[in-house]
Amino acid sequence: MNPWLVLGPVILLLIVLGFVTYAIFFERKVLGWIQGRIGPNRVGPWGLLQTVADVLKLLLKEDVTPKKADLALFKLAPALAFIPAFAILAVIPFTDTIQFADFAVGLLYYLALSSVTIIAILVGGWSSNNKYALLGGMRSAAQMISYEIPLVMSVVGIIMTVGSLNLNEIVEAQKEVWFIFPQAIGFVVFLIASISELNRTPFDLPEAESELVAGYHVEYSGFRFAFFMLTEYVYMFAMASLTTVLYLGGWNAPFGLTFIPPIVWFVLKFGFIVFFLIWLRGTFPRIRVDQLMQFAWKVLLPLALLNILVTALLKEVPFLGKFY
Amino acid sequence: MLRTEEMLLNVGPQHPSTHGVLRLVVKIDGEAIVDAEPVIGYLHRGTEKLAEDLNYTQIIPYTDRLDYVSAMTNNYAIVHATEQLMGLEVPERAEFLRVIVMELNRIASHLVWMGTYLLDIGALSPFLYAFRDREQILDLFNELCGARLTYNYMRVGGVKWDAPPGWIDKVGSFVEYMQKQMVEYHGLISGNEIFKQRTKGIGVYDRKMALDYGLSGANLRVTGVDWDLRKKQPYSIYDRFTFNVPVGKTGDLYEKYMCRMNEVVESLNILQQAVNAFPAEGKIMGKVPRVLRVPEGEVYVGIESPRGELGCHIVSKGKDKPWRLKFRRPSFYNLQILPELLRGQNISNLVAILGGIDIVLGEVDG
Amino acid sequence: MLGLVKGLGITLKNMAKPKVTYKYPDEPLVMPDRFRGIQHFDPEKCIVCNQCARICPTDCITLTGKKHPDPEQKGKVIDTYDINFEICILCDLCTEVCPTEAIVMTNNFELAVYSRDELFKDLNWLHNNNTHIRSENSTNLMPKAGGKAK
Repeated sequence: MNPWLVLGPVILLLIVLGFVTYAIFFERKVLGWIQGRIGPNRVGPWGLLQTVADVLKLLLKEDVTPKKADLALFKLAPALAFIPAFAILAVIPFTDTIQFADFAVGLLYYLALSSVTIIAILVGGWSSNNKYALLGGMRSAAQMISYEIPLVMSVVGIIMTVGSLNLNEIVEAQKEVWFIFPQAIGFVVFLIASISELNRTPFDLPEAESELVAGYHVEYSGFRFAFFMLTEYVYMFAMASLTTVLYLGGWNAPFGLTFIPPIVWFVLKFGFIVFFLIWLRGTFPRIRVDQLMQFAWKVLLPLALLNILVTALLKEVPFLGKFY
Repeated sequence: MLRTEEMLLNVGPQHPSTHGVLRLVVKIDGEAIVDAEPVIGYLHRGTEKLAEDLNYTQIIPYTDRLDYVSAMTNNYAIVHATEQLMGLEVPERAEFLRVIVMELNRIASHLVWMGTYLLDIGALSPFLYAFRDREQILDLFNELCGARLTYNYMRVGGVKWDAPPGWIDKVGSFVEYMQKQMVEYHGLISGNEIFKQRTKGIGVYDRKMALDYGLSGANLRVTGVDWDLRKKQPYSIYDRFTFNVPVGKTGDLYEKYMCRMNEVVESLNILQQAVNAFPAEGKIMGKVPRVLRVPEGEVYVGIESPRGELGCHIVSKGKDKPWRLKFRRPSFYNLQILPELLRGQNISNLVAILGGIDIVLGEVDG
Repeated sequence: MLGLVKGLGITLKNMAKPKVTYKYPDEPLVMPDRFRGIQHFDPEKCIVCNQCARICPTDCITLTGKKHPDPEQKGKVIDTYDINFEICILCDLCTEVCPTEAIVMTNNFELAVYSRDELFKDLNWLHNNNTHIRSENSTNLMPKAGGKAK
């Protein structure tokens, strides 16, 4: 048996855990800088071990389960949320050589599997037997299902251009021009929908602190809470990777700067998207739940459809056609 | 037809956006509010009753703790009422100092409101920007009277401390700094489309309703009623300054926000004038007897606190302690309209509307 | 959309601005002179006039006097003087009325303790709290030559 079959995912898990640790740290630092503060700086040099300490604290905490919760589901939900989040990482091509599974319907696999988490959130919100959690779970389900549609629709333009659902081929197709340029409308729709899928500001309604306290994970504590947190940031990792792969040319170097290794390019683009997400969080207020739905169905979906139409039309135009 | 059930949701007293210990018992149908009932009293300390056992100087530190976001105006309410009843003259310099600290406190209070309101709506950074700028005001107060929140600064007949050297200039430079900051706030918040979406056309009530509920302050002015006690019943030396009273038209949350932001600008105007006209010297305490025996009688004074009409009603029986003291606490009266505004709204609008009223629980509960 | 972009610009600009936080527990926070911190008490100056205990809005000061040890001298000297910092609100009224500046404010403000009992501070503790004493205190000073206060 190929040892990489086992070792690879373990290494990836460690990398992802490292990313989550430092994404949380980086988020807190950037928010601090935006707000005229220093951010965490007490644990370790420059506060680098802050998240480690936080996670250790969570692990040591008592595992509180509400008396009237549906125990089986309550315990299942965090695992159910995390497994698809990690599983989708398999298809992301980090560079032309680092990828775990290269199969024909990679994009479809990603989009389909990521929606399983909605069920976990709903289960978690419902089984907690808490009104805030229930409201958060319901909001979450409604929001994520609604935004799944523009998200899928917005990438159809790319699929039409490349003629494949394979993420490797999509990256290969961006050797000349990144899809962010010909697919500008699609990119905007994808970006907005992906932020919404990630439940991040300005679409962080499911866990709207000021309204629902913490939303679906209000009753979770300790390790189970850590799992939900982990899921959230693993999705951030996955979504930033996917955005890089789909629209920013993946590992491709811009302006022919090929002497810099592809993985560095990938990390740079990826890091920029993560920073952008945090930057948004530091700036925007939260959108309201009914406006959120209207926005998905009345603005984003028509835009995504328009993008498909434009792509289909431009494909036939002589000069522009080569970009599509 | 699907059978739906109404659900009783307890918002508070431990909830991030009830601004303290307000509890709302909300009946909801899905996310729509059917009915809401505020439950208050978690922070009741019985200030009015306590005051019956305290002499007039001792009451002043207690008023600091009513509306703890703008303690200077509370200080002024009690000392002003006592002075009225005793017929005391207050030196000019003391009046100037009082106006300066009250207007600074109004700005501080509106900044707190603005920051926490944006936090309610979901924006994180404006809160810290607002507190960063408020910090400068608190530092000024700290230098003037030795405390950042519970000032205990005014005394019957004057103020406790004269301005330390250079303090007035610091106020002047703060005014300039703040005028620059206002541009940043407008850029960050006022033009933000999401903020507009969240606040425009929400929580609307008309002039009649506002008057019926006895609203005051920005909550009243937002419906177009030009009512500011600093103009209508000038107290202290407010008649010497020129300033506008910002009023709204439609009475929605966005206008409430704009009203309060414009009030900050007007307060800066007043401060500018007060700093320029500040008397070079003079006493800070008038002729006050050593033991304050207030003649028998009653007095009511209303002053414009950041939240509305702050009234102080003293009934004296000629002792050194009031026989009965009553504060008309604006947050308490403004809160009464909440159930009316919440009916039929969405849960997300709950925090936006509640935040828009600008309550301070120390004042609501008294 | 323009408002959103403008907001992003403002937050980005603020990232580069200097930080405004204090390094508080690492570096002591310097308070202005008038800051109302924990009182310092000087038993030598006290004339046991009870004014501080009477003006205190929360009744947190308890004091007892005893006869002057020297039978030649009139008046009393302080015996015990306690402030209960569980209820003291540091309102400054006691120092304001003290005719001899026996009780004065300091700039020290760190009062955190593990037990409530420790908040009950006695004469010795208050006397030893003698750093950062405020320069101006009483507005009710007795004339130097003695006799009745003005």
